[in-house]
Amino acid sequence: MTPVRTVVLDNEAVQALLDVGHPKNRRALAVIEAVASRNERRAGTVRLVVPTSVRVEAGWVRRAPRAAAINRLRFDDLVLDAETADTAARIRAALPLSVADAHLAATLGGTPGPHAVVTSDAGDTAAIARHLGLPLRTLVI
Amino acid sequence: MGGDDARWYRSYYSSGVDRRTTRLLDLLDSESDGETVGTSIRLPVNLREAAALAADLGLARSTSELTVGGLRDVLASFAQRAILEEHYRVHPDARPDLAEVALAAAELDANPLVDRPDLIERAAREITMVHPGASADDVLLYAAGLASAVA
Repeated sequence: MTPVRTVVLDNEAVQALLDVGHPKNRRALAVIEAVASRNERRAGTVRLVVPTSVRVEAGWVRRAPRAAAINRLRFDDLVLDAETADTAARIRAALPLSVADAHLAATLGGTPGPHAVVTSDAGDTAAIARHLGLPLRTLVI
Repeated sequence: MGGDDARWYRSYYSSGVDRRTTRLLDLLDSESDGETVGTSIRLPVNLREAAALAADLGLARSTSELTVGGLRDVLASFAQRAILEEHYRVHPDARPDLAEVALAAAELDANPLVDRPDLIERAAREITMVHPGASADDVLLYAAGLASAVA
């Protein structure tokens, strides 16, 4: 049992996190709390990641003026640069994923493992894990 | 966003983060433009030598990189807690309980206790009676003890 190093959120997980009326809001916050608690004991132990395409899909404007506190939660923005776009395009050619999910899959290779993906679609995550040969941990929202 | 727009915008504009926390977040979020400032930090000699050795071993580029990275991680951890507490101040029902957080931690780590949420709930209940500040990892340790005792 190796402690997780990188936690990636997909679109539905971000929506559940940001909307206090969402039925899975507490569940999403429990994941963030688990990561925060570990980083409070030992800073920098676990990275929280939201690929920028996922942020676009979820409509998450983190730095909007007068934004609610939850919008300012700290995540690493993993950008869709040229190299990541090539990787994402190759993954999308092999799997029926949205652009955001392909970006999510493409970010996994460049971040430290073990990885956990917080998602509403365990099927997509399983397909990504099989395709990449990565032992992804899936937290279903 | 999920939910209706009115609810989203009400939530969006109904609360604010403390001005100093906002400034801290802005500073942490801003991309470095390469500008640096010299500062005098007194490092324990053993740490300074260990950092130099780590750089020699190729584990880090420099003592400065290690120092900056450590400082950034600790400040980010403070900021994350401040944001979460501000969110719970406005939305107290959103705060997950210790058992929920411990279950999430077990899932993140692929801990076999994910199949025993009953033990996690019991551990969270019992450990807080003797250790009110228990963390999710404390709960999982306690739950592992319970699992071992009943095996």
